[in-house]
Amino acid sequence: MGKSILSSRGHALRRHETIVSYLFLFPALFFFVGFVITPMVMGVITSFTDASLANGNKGSFVGFANYVRLFNDPIFIKSAINTVVIVVVSVPVVTFFSLWVGASIYKMKSLYRSFYRCVFYLPVVTGSVAVVVVWKWMFDKYDGLFNYVIRAFGGEGLAWTGDPQLALWCILMILFTTSIGQPIVLFVAALGNVDQSLVEAAKVDGANNMQVFWKIKWPSILPTTLYVAVITTINSFQCFALIQLLTSGGPNYSTSTVMYYLYEIAFRTTKEFGYADAMGVILAIVIALFSALQFKVMATDNS
Amino acid sequence: MKKMKKLLALMLTLLMVFALAACGQAKAPAAPADKAAEAAQVAITWWAFPTFGVDSGYEQELADAFMAANPDITVTVEIIDFQSGPDKLTAAMTSGTAPDVLFDAPGRIIEYGNGGYLVALDDMVEALKPDLTSESLVETCVGADGTAWMYPISAAPFYMGLNKEALEKADALQYVNLEGERLWSTEDFVKMCEALAKAAPTTVPGIVYCGGQGGDQGTRALVNNLYKSSIVGEDGKWNIDENGVKALELLKSLYDDKALDAGFDMAAADELQKFQNETCAMTFCWGTSNAKSYAAEDYTQVSVPFPSDDGVPALEYLVNGFCVFDNKDEARAEAAKKLIAFICDDAEWGPKSVLQTGAFPVRTSYGNLYEGDEEMSLLASWTKYYGPYYNTRAGFATMRVEWWNMLQRIFQEGDVEKQVEIFNTNSNK
Repeated sequence: MGKSILSSRGHALRRHETIVSYLFLFPALFFFVGFVITPMVMGVITSFTDASLANGNKGSFVGFANYVRLFNDPIFIKSAINTVVIVVVSVPVVTFFSLWVGASIYKMKSLYRSFYRCVFYLPVVTGSVAVVVVWKWMFDKYDGLFNYVIRAFGGEGLAWTGDPQLALWCILMILFTTSIGQPIVLFVAALGNVDQSLVEAAKVDGANNMQVFWKIKWPSILPTTLYVAVITTINSFQCFALIQLLTSGGPNYSTSTVMYYLYEIAFRTTKEFGYADAMGVILAIVIALFSALQFKVMATDNS
Repeated sequence: MKKMKKLLALMLTLLMVFALAACGQAKAPAAPADKAAEAAQVAITWWAFPTFGVDSGYEQELADAFMAANPDITVTVEIIDFQSGPDKLTAAMTSGTAPDVLFDAPGRIIEYGNGGYLVALDDMVEALKPDLTSESLVETCVGADGTAWMYPISAAPFYMGLNKEALEKADALQYVNLEGERLWSTEDFVKMCEALAKAAPTTVPGIVYCGGQGGDQGTRALVNNLYKSSIVGEDGKWNIDENGVKALELLKSLYDDKALDAGFDMAAADELQKFQNETCAMTFCWGTSNAKSYAAEDYTQVSVPFPSDDGVPALEYLVNGFCVFDNKDEARAEAAKKLIAFICDDAEWGPKSVLQTGAFPVRTSYGNLYEGDEEMSLLASWTKYYGPYYNTRAGFATMRVEWWNMLQRIFQEGDVEKQVEIFNTNSNK
């Protein structure tokens, strides 16, 4: 009898807690469904239509025609290759550079550590427009800082963002400076949380610094590394503002990415929303696959 | 417990769906007294690109004057910029939140009209026709099926700007005609570029910008004038003819000889800035508005028409005008039409508005609004050299992208004929 009273009270309490937790979830879920899930679903549906500004956004069902067209569109293929180059170069470089910086500064005195964190985080909090304006001036063919230095040493100035061979690397350089701030802060925090007793025990057992790092610290910071890799991958795939502000995808589509080409088709040129949405769907699938792959690799590493 | 959780999750989902649906719900029906008041008062929104000047406040002045004359109409003014404004408009139109009135140019307006987003303005344009300064202005206002989508207010030619002192230093001023209407030839243009390259009073003589769509009409005007070519074929398709190829070959040879440079990552605004700070000695995107925005105190900026082999230019021109969005509300559409008629035709505000655009009236009845201003009178005399207007043709947006990509390929890879062929094919896709 006593047991059943306790059990029914427990049920009531849990029910109450469940209701309260769902109520707390409601505002966030409301916005998530309204502004993330709904547009995503609409995007997928539109990708199977020929909706465009010219037909008043009243597209008719065209099946997989937009997807077939994508793989026959040389500009899309060029943009996809550029996107992959950006991801393949920026993810390892950003991850390892920020890990190196984090490992170098996390042991420093608080004041110095804060100073370096500030320096590397500054480009993140500075607006992308301001960052790009400064870089644009530095890359300027006629009056830019880089060419000024080259000419001072007797060289001939380069076209930088106007040169198809260099333009993508210019984008990568800016992306690198704006991407390392957050990972460095995360790595400094993660390295600071590594169990010092394990580190000291390893040292007592005669482990050198490299062994301590790879055998003790690396497994501890693996979840942070995974997070950094996934976030950098997503940001690299979605690189857009830099390109729009600096090169508009040029010269001759040498800096166009899937994200930029999608924007150009939807808002600048033919305004074909169905076709642009098909690109968006493909991009989302590729990002999901890359992220899943990273999770898988890191999970294997961790085990 | 599991059932309970499922039930709660379901209820939460339903609640969200209803809440979202409620966002799009119409207002509850008003009481009869309120209804009468609402019917009497019409609220409209006016989106304007800064054609009346950046932060001039003129749009609000106009709206206030209009509301004073029409107390039953409320006008909300919103200024949009040329960078993000077009995207905002596309998003607004497709989501059913378009403004009532837009102040813009034919390129976009006709595209919106052809897409079915606008209210036809045939009655207004028809009534305006006898007063238009040029019959060709009508084609800037009508869409593919002949429906009038734009109500014009002013127009101005695009031309070239030169740095007089730089030309003097290079002894190149002798090739430029500064007398009369300042018409000049392709031969003299080439000599001027070569002299500038030799003496180098500026870093480069000129920059053929080809990095994007801002002001790309300037480079088309240059190409089309050099040997009198056209970008539209007789069959109405986008087509660069033999003379166009010749002009592009000339530009390529000037680029190879460093008598001109190419701006692969530059749009007109970048080139204008280089002209203003004397990095280059000429601009291909000069106009009444840019002459104000990029004025320089250290040297003299001279306006000249584009050079041509026979000395008679065919100038590209800008037309400023209004359109009314079809928001499925007749009262709002009528109020919007009333507003644009007030801005363009009111005896006091009409001429004032034309002057505010820094362009020339499209109405003969306004006469010469720049009496006594020598420079503006000279520019007004160039309006007779207006070339064919192609910005409202189908596929214009696609052609523009092909245009600057073609220029990039020509300067980087050469083989003009092949690049033109690619342009002619891709532009008509």
